[in-house]
Parts: sequence; C-alpha cells; structure tokens
Amino acid sequence: MNLVRAELAKVRTTNMWWILALIYLPLWGLTLFFNYVQTDQLVNGNLGQVPEDQADTVAAVALPDNLAANLYTNGQFFGLLMVMLLGILVVTNEFFHQTVTTTFLTTPHRSAVMAAKLVATAALGLIFWLVTTGANLLVGSAILESVGVGARYGSAAWEAIGLNALAYLLWAILGVGIGVLIRSQIGATVTGILLYLGGTIGAVIVISTLAARFGDWINNLQLLVPSLASSLMVTGAEIPGNPPRWAGAAVLVGYAVVAGVIGTLTVRRRDIS
Amino acid sequence: MHLLLLHERKRRRMSDGQRSPTSDGQIVVSGLTKVYRNVRAVDDLSFTVEPGRVTGFLGPNGAGKTTTLRMLLNLVTPTGGQATIGGRRYADLTDPLRHVGAVLEASSAHKGRTGINHLRVICAAAGLPKSRADEALALVGLTPAAKRKFKGYSLGMKQRLGIAAAMLGDPRVLILDEPANGLDPEGIRWMRGFLKNLAAQGRTVLVSSHLLSEMQLLADDVVIIAAGRLVRQGPVDQVIGSMTHGVRVRVRTPQADALTAALKDGPATVDVDEHGTLLVGGVDAPTVGRAALAAGVELHELTTERPDLEGVFLELTAGKAGIR
Repeated sequence: MNLVRAELAKVRTTNMWWILALIYLPLWGLTLFFNYVQTDQLVNGNLGQVPEDQADTVAAVALPDNLAANLYTNGQFFGLLMVMLLGILVVTNEFFHQTVTTTFLTTPHRSAVMAAKLVATAALGLIFWLVTTGANLLVGSAILESVGVGARYGSAAWEAIGLNALAYLLWAILGVGIGVLIRSQIGATVTGILLYLGGTIGAVIVISTLAARFGDWINNLQLLVPSLASSLMVTGAEIPGNPPRWAGAAVLVGYAVVAGVIGTLTVRRRDIS
Repeated sequence: MHLLLLHERKRRRMSDGQRSPTSDGQIVVSGLTKVYRNVRAVDDLSFTVEPGRVTGFLGPNGAGKTTTLRMLLNLVTPTGGQATIGGRRYADLTDPLRHVGAVLEASSAHKGRTGINHLRVICAAAGLPKSRADEALALVGLTPAAKRKFKGYSLGMKQRLGIAAAMLGDPRVLILDEPANGLDPEGIRWMRGFLKNLAAQGRTVLVSSHLLSEMQLLADDVVIIAAGRLVRQGPVDQVIGSMTHGVRVRVRTPQADALTAALKDGPATVDVDEHGTLLVGGVDAPTVGRAALAAGVELHELTTERPDLEGVFLELTAGKAGIR
C-alpha cells in the first residue's frame, strides 16, 4: 500500500497528469459533437440510401438503448489512448529521469514495485473513466432528450458503461507493459500510439479487404487487434456479423495479463546501470 | 549537524542490546565478478569496509567502481561472488533505507518535481514519516530550495539532494559514488566534514572517487582497484608507506653527472626524470646538500618529496588500462 501511495504521489507531483487531461478535454468535446450529430441523424435525419448489407448494422445502432450506450461511453477512443500513454509514462519516466535507481534502492523487491505501478495506473485509469462517464451521463442524457428519444438508463447502458471501465483499466495496464518492454520514452510512446491508431486503422482496412475476398469469417480476426477488441467490447449493441462482446473483453484481458507479466519478469532480471 | 548527533544518540539508546552482531555495518565483498559479453568488468574482487571509518574506493575510469557499488546494492546482478552489508545481501534487508543510504548519481530525480516532493515520494515508498523529508533537507542545507524544481538545481544542490535522500532512513551505512563531482571548493569542504562526522558517529562510509588529493584528506582506509581487480587495500598511511620508494630528494643542478658521481659511494640511488631532474632515494636532503657542497656542485633546487596518494595510485595502476 505504501508503494501504491508512492506511485500515485509520483504522478501527482509532476505535470504529466494534467497535461494528458488537458489534451484529452478538447478531444472528448470533439467526439461528443460527432456523436451528437450521429445520434441526431440516426433518429431524425435521412440517412439516404443505406447499402443492403449494412442495413442490419444501422438498425441495431439506431435502437434507443444503443444510442444511449454509445453516448455514455463517449470519448472512449481518445480516453483509452490517454490512459495507455499514462501507463507508458509511469514506467518510462523512471528510466528517462534515472529515478529507477532510487526506486529500486528503496524497494529492492522489483515485482512489488511493478505491482504497485500496475495498481496505481489502473486506479488512475478508473479515475479518468469516472470523470468522463460523469460528464457523459450529464451531456448524453441532454442530447437524448433534445433529439426526442428521452434519457434512458437501461441495463444495456450500464453494461456498456461497465465494460468501458474495464477497457480503461486494461489499457492502463497495457501501457505499463509497453513502457517496460520499450524503455525509451519516445520509442514506447510512438509504438503505443502507432499500435493504437495505426493498428486500428490499418487492421480495419486489411481485415475488411480480406473479408471481402475470403468471406465474412475473417471479420472475427479483428478480435486480435487490441484496440478493435476493446471497441468491440464496448459497442452498445450486439451488431449482427460481429464477434460477441465478451470475446473482445477476453482478448483484451489476455493482452493486459501478458504485458503485465512479461513486463514484471523483464524488470526483475534487468541490470540497472 | 547537531540534528544528526541527536539522531545518533536516539539510535544508540534504542539499539542497546537490540542490534544483532551481524548488523554492525561491515561491508564484505567476496569474489565478486561481473562479466558483460566479453569484458570482465569486475573480476574476482574481494575487500572489506569497516564501520567508523571513511573508506575511499579508488580506481581509474572504467575500473569497475560503479559496477561494484551497483552489485552491492542489488541493482546489477553479479555473475559470481557476493556482497553483503552487515552480513546480509541488500535484497534481503527489510527496510533497506533504514540500514543503507546510497548516492549513486547526481541527476536522479524527476526534473519537474520539487526537491521536497522527491524526498516525500521516497518516504512514502519506504514507509518513513513525511517529516523525515524536511529534516533531511535541513541536514544538507537545502531548506531554502525545498520547493524549487529539480531542473533548477545546480550540480552541487543536486548532490546535496542525493545525500539528503540517502539520509532519510538515518542509515548506519553510507555508500557514495563520486559525491564530490561538480561541487565547488566550499561544497567539497562541507562534504568532507559531513562524511567525517558520520564516520565519527560509528557509521560505515564508502566513497568512490578519482579526486585523489581530496581522498587523502578524507579517507581513513582505501581500496584501490584497476581493471576490475583489487590492487591494494588498507589504511591510507600504510598503503602510501608500502610503496617501493619512500621519501625521495628532488635535485635540480646543471652538473648532474658530477653530483651523481659524488653520491655513488653512499647508500643513495639516483634516478633522472625526463627534464633532467635527479630523484635521489635512500638518503635525506641534508646528506645530498653536504655531498654537493663537498663536490663543488651548484644546486638550483633541493626538495624533499614525500609520496602521496596520487603518486602511489598512479604507480599501482600504471599499465592497467582503465578502458577495456
């Protein structure tokens, strides 16, 4: 517990957390605006000619419960990115500023230090989620009222919010894992962002191309891409043709566990010089 | 400084009859070896460091000083051998900061964190009361800069902060890697008094350095290593006295040959350095002067040279290249 407190103090006493929060705020606003427009169009707008093979998807997304779930998990795309970066920085800062020597002198049991870092980062991830969700519930219900659907807090919404929390938690842990595996701060940050953004976009293109060529079963491979697995996990709806949501969660948990364990084992053996 | 003494008194009172004989703060390095790919950075190194004395840990750059200290502190895993502090490996110490304080590099705090917060974070991790951070800052005279960020600290202030961090747990063993680096003369004098005082309180103080003149003023014992191996260990006076030549007389004269001839019959040994100066061993300065007078030799300089740590060090480590 001392160690977790120390890790939280390390974050609190530097400007890292509020810089990330400051970057996150406008991005959250941007996605909110985007989701507002989308919700409005799905409810009131004319979507024009919907291709036949996507009609099911659109219909599922347009269900009021799913609209609510989508709004209540607004900001997730960038929020997860921020939380992952936080995890990366919590580890790489120690090497960048050479504080790791002091840290391991104070606590020679490195596994305990790593566990504390994982717990502290996960807690910070959940705080990010908590603040975001609070704001989403306020603004999201207002949007639902304004488009004429009416605010709703059904089980589907709470399920999406809960899975969203899990996503924040897991991406924070993934960040710590990336930070340990790639000690260079710049290297880890760039890799993390590429994995998250590039990986998402690239994988979507590759998978949809392959699916068109070889059949729909390829779509299930998107599970293996961490960011797609997490977005699958928190989609408000079970969308026809997509793998089930729990599978996305399982894959992400798997990645987080592997990253955490490999990271811890690596740190235990490493010479600090 | 009186704060430290106060702590010491408190410690003594608490420790009467409680401290086990193994916790006397002796550092024992035995057979320590570290092999990196194809370099034996530390090679079967053994030495001991006694409490109540300042021990200088000397060696040319690349001799393996830092690697040895880091193995002692469980930061680097030895390839072979082991190092203990008070009979236990660093990794096996419960509450290590209460036993051992270490200052390894001056630039080891987050640049955006204030000095006081740096210490508080360590206190939190070590389970020490927050108040220790303020006390330690006062101890090194950094209180006025407590709330300044680390990046605004001068090199000397960074060293002081490092020492403050090492003193947080009021440890019996202090290990410092090149603590005088970047200190101004005033800072060096402060550091010397500080470390001597700690040793006088019965603590173990191990200081690595390449500032030999400083070490001669500071250290009671020295451990000299080169190319990863032990070269000499012992009290400073003994190590200096153990050298092949003792006191030498340095003579400059335009008639070197005549003086050499005049000294030839006595116990004197005469060497000539690259400037043509004579280095006479085995006899004292008056004897040389008398011989010169008798032979009618003109003298420009007649000086007694005592060997110092620097001379001994250079002689002992000569030919053992630091960079391998």
